[in-house]
Amino acid sequence: MPIRFKINDVAVEAKPGEGLLDVARRNGFSIPSLCHLESVPAIGACRICLVEVRRGRRSKLTTSCNYEVLDGIEVSTDSPEIRRHRAMNLELLLARAPSSEAIRKLAAQYGVSQPRFGPIKYNPLPNCILCELCVRACTELGHHALTTVGRGDRKRIGLPFNKPADTCVGCGACASVCPTHCIPMTDTLTKRAIWGQKHDFVRCSECGAPVITKKHRDHAIATKGLPEDYYDVCQSCKQIATSQRFAAIVW
Amino acid sequence: MSANPASKSQPVSALPPLSGKPMRQVGSTGPLVLLPNRCTGCRTCELACAFAHSEDGNLGLSRIRIHPAGPDRYVQVTCLQCVNAACVQVCPTQALVRNADTGAICHDENRCVGCGLCETACPFGHMHFAVEMRKPVKCDLCGGRPACAMFCPHEALEWR
Repeated sequence: MPIRFKINDVAVEAKPGEGLLDVARRNGFSIPSLCHLESVPAIGACRICLVEVRRGRRSKLTTSCNYEVLDGIEVSTDSPEIRRHRAMNLELLLARAPSSEAIRKLAAQYGVSQPRFGPIKYNPLPNCILCELCVRACTELGHHALTTVGRGDRKRIGLPFNKPADTCVGCGACASVCPTHCIPMTDTLTKRAIWGQKHDFVRCSECGAPVITKKHRDHAIATKGLPEDYYDVCQSCKQIATSQRFAAIVW
Repeated sequence: MSANPASKSQPVSALPPLSGKPMRQVGSTGPLVLLPNRCTGCRTCELACAFAHSEDGNLGLSRIRIHPAGPDRYVQVTCLQCVNAACVQVCPTQALVRNADTGAICHDENRCVGCGLCETACPFGHMHFAVEMRKPVKCDLCGGRPACAMFCPHEALEWR
């Protein structure tokens, strides 16, 4: 039984249990957000995806990512009131992450260039907005290597208990999803350094380029059911081998 | 096609004749057919792809590549949209899904967490992980109108 409701006076349909932001984006409405991916649980951390939801005679502002759609609601994705609240939230985020390109751009769209607050005192990971997208992505991948450490204004993202974690495979998904690109990850030819740990690379058997971290490969072999030799050769060497195989067929 | 490996390059007359069809074909349903024996290595397809997928025509983001395979011989390689695709099999967040209309395996940016496993798993090397964007770069058949096939001046790429 599909759920029917309205976004900006346009009738849309959704499955029960879907998040409002996912439904809106699928139907072509653009709602800004920093901390949401369809594949990870929504927690409404960045509070930029605010929308107004009217249900019967009541209306409220709510984050759309973790709002489950309901029959008959009327959603407005943009209004002066919504923009005012988004601008305030962006000002607070900008105080936390003053040099983040993504947040500066978004804040500029809402007329915020310089925050009235900050700089914050305790900031072990500069530009981190504590949206926990990295934590949720890591959990979704089954590694469970990241979490929040500490409480209150000392809260930060890190390995559990701030100690080296065996479960981190060095895949770099946390650095990929981070909306402010604040997680430092450095690759050399042999090692990847992330979260204060170093991970050995599997080197391409043809050219010696780094392919994937050894722990990530072992995790993939154990869980994905592909032959082990799939992870031995780098992408460019595989592509050259493919072109040679094609050439052998044609000529 | 010459069976003699000693012949260095094919005479032009041995190539399949050009069909004379207009370059831009709309409304066909695929598949994308690679014909290396027609390819002259001009790399127009790479450029067309780069401009189709990025505003500044960044060739590093081109989804198709030309590889030399001997004198006057070039092979185009791009995603083969495998039936049992390794990239789909390894993706931990189901961010690679097949588009029912075009048959292309498309990358869903709203689901991808950027772990990079798809690049490593593809046995043909057609999944490229763009390090700066931290996202895979993959042929999506341009949503049913592949720019490479439309711009190839020698009909070495056909969208049938």
